[in-house]
Amino acid sequence: MIEFNDITKSFVSGTVRTDVLKGVTFKVNKGEFAAIMAPSGTGKTTLLNVLGCLMKASSGSYLFEGQDIETLNDDQLSEIRNKKIGFVFQTFNLLERTSALDNVLLPLVYADVYPGDAEKKASRFLESVGLKERINYKPSELSGGQQQRVAIARALINDPAVIFADEPTGNLDSASAKEIIEIFKSLHSQGRTIIVVTHDINVARSSDRIIYLKDGKVEKEEVLR
Amino acid sequence: MKIMRIAGVSVNTIFKHKMRAFLIILAIVVGIATLTVVVALTQGMNKKIMERIQNFGPDAIVIHSGGGKVRGPSTVSEANLTKKDISDIENIDGVKLITSFHIASGMPVKYGSKFISCGVWGVEPNWKDAWRTGASRGEFITDADNEHLSKVCVVGQTVVKDLFGGTNPIGESVLIENVSFHVVGVLEKRGQSPAGEDFDNRILIPLATASRRLMNQPLYIGNARVIVYTPSRIETVAKNIKEVLRENHHLAATEEDDFRMRTPVEIAEMVESASKTLKLFLWLVALISPLVGGIVLMNIMLMAVSERKKEIGLRRAVGAKKKHIIFQFLAESIMLTFSGGVIGVGTGIVIAFLIKLSGKPISITWQSFAVAFVFSTLIGLFFGIYPAKKAAALDPATALSSK
Repeated sequence: MIEFNDITKSFVSGTVRTDVLKGVTFKVNKGEFAAIMAPSGTGKTTLLNVLGCLMKASSGSYLFEGQDIETLNDDQLSEIRNKKIGFVFQTFNLLERTSALDNVLLPLVYADVYPGDAEKKASRFLESVGLKERINYKPSELSGGQQQRVAIARALINDPAVIFADEPTGNLDSASAKEIIEIFKSLHSQGRTIIVVTHDINVARSSDRIIYLKDGKVEKEEVLR
Repeated sequence: MKIMRIAGVSVNTIFKHKMRAFLIILAIVVGIATLTVVVALTQGMNKKIMERIQNFGPDAIVIHSGGGKVRGPSTVSEANLTKKDISDIENIDGVKLITSFHIASGMPVKYGSKFISCGVWGVEPNWKDAWRTGASRGEFITDADNEHLSKVCVVGQTVVKDLFGGTNPIGESVLIENVSFHVVGVLEKRGQSPAGEDFDNRILIPLATASRRLMNQPLYIGNARVIVYTPSRIETVAKNIKEVLRENHHLAATEEDDFRMRTPVEIAEMVESASKTLKLFLWLVALISPLVGGIVLMNIMLMAVSERKKEIGLRRAVGAKKKHIIFQFLAESIMLTFSGGVIGVGTGIVIAFLIKLSGKPISITWQSFAVAFVFSTLIGLFFGIYPAKKAAALDPATALSSK
């Protein structure tokens, strides 16, 4: 369902051109839990931005559920992000001074159809990540692990085709990190497609398959399960 | 609806940033309140000008004896209009009627032990047609009064108040310069003259009585008032009157007029020229201060955009389109300026009322509201669009990774 064919991405700043992705090719199938392993500063974030339709590649083709992403305009990309993609970030990216429930409901603000049972659905997701008692808490009143769980519930609210997680345990202590990994595993067991970008081998090890990225290219793949 | 949900985001943002909202609203309130006060002031002034022209009469020309630039009626001593002048003017095309009168201002008038000073007018019976006002109670001056040099008078409302303490003066006698006059009527209330003097502080007596018994001017007439048929032709009639008078008075081309004429056009110019500079200044202030409010809005919103980069990036990541971001920020600006507009109009009206209490002419009409609401919304739109566009133009990935 995700097909990267020879994707490159370069940034031009003044007269200096930096090639970050130099022809990345890989596939991720529906229902798969894949990890992209890359050392820090090797285009991990850029890769995720292209994957998450937040920016377009410089060349190559990106097929998302068979659709060529490179041909879409800004509005169409927004729609894909809204309907098909759930993001989980390293820094959680929750809205301050906004309750956990409202944070989870955020993607629905921009949805074409607002489900009548949206709030019920949001509380159910919060409940499923163990935050039943905290749905009205603001991010500042929650621990890092709890905030990341709110972010996961937010990623799920629109029933996306894929969840992209960018270093989801990077800002967490090991106990919270473990909890988050468990949530991903259980989501995977429910049939969700998950792609985690990380430099933490322990996180990568919990996936089905690890794609190693080096110098802007796929170095090797390792199938774990 | 999506649009309502995004507007809801704008409302929430406003409530989450109360200080910022307060500052923007305050800036707009100051601007819109100023605008409201100025609209009310200008309309008050216009109303006053219209009242004065109406009081003067839109179809009237007043002729005073004596040349020069002095304003106001002529004294008896400078009277130089002849009976022939009057009858010649009456025959000019477009003239409906002409009435002659004498004015002596500041005459001592006594009733019992009370003593006032007021204007005494010697008038003909058609004076009431020329001024479209007459006796509200009792009689007016008649032809018979003029023939018999009767010592009767009709008194103005201020005179009734000051001299008779508000009681019915009809049937009483007053002493005007020690000549006893019998009060036969009370004049209708008239208000102020174009020059701003009290038209109700006067006493009318027959013209003949005035010229022969009181003012000692049997030959010449001090002033005359002409009424024309069509107000739009008033300037032409005035020109013809001027020619007739210059000819009758044997004035050479190089000599100046030995009479003065007033038309409603001149009255309007006179009153307006006095308030023109003031009005211009007021409008300048009125238009600049909402603009300053708008600039404050733009500054604060631009600051908000750069403060909220991460939020914008997140909204874009979860599916907000550019237009949604524009709408969110624009709605925020317009809600703030509109609230500022509402409070501003309220404040402006309170200020306008306070000014009114101090006796200045103020007129509060629906125009003040309309101007203020339209203006405040336009400010929100005009000064809000740039920050909103800037927010929408942020690259989602860059915005998301900003601190």
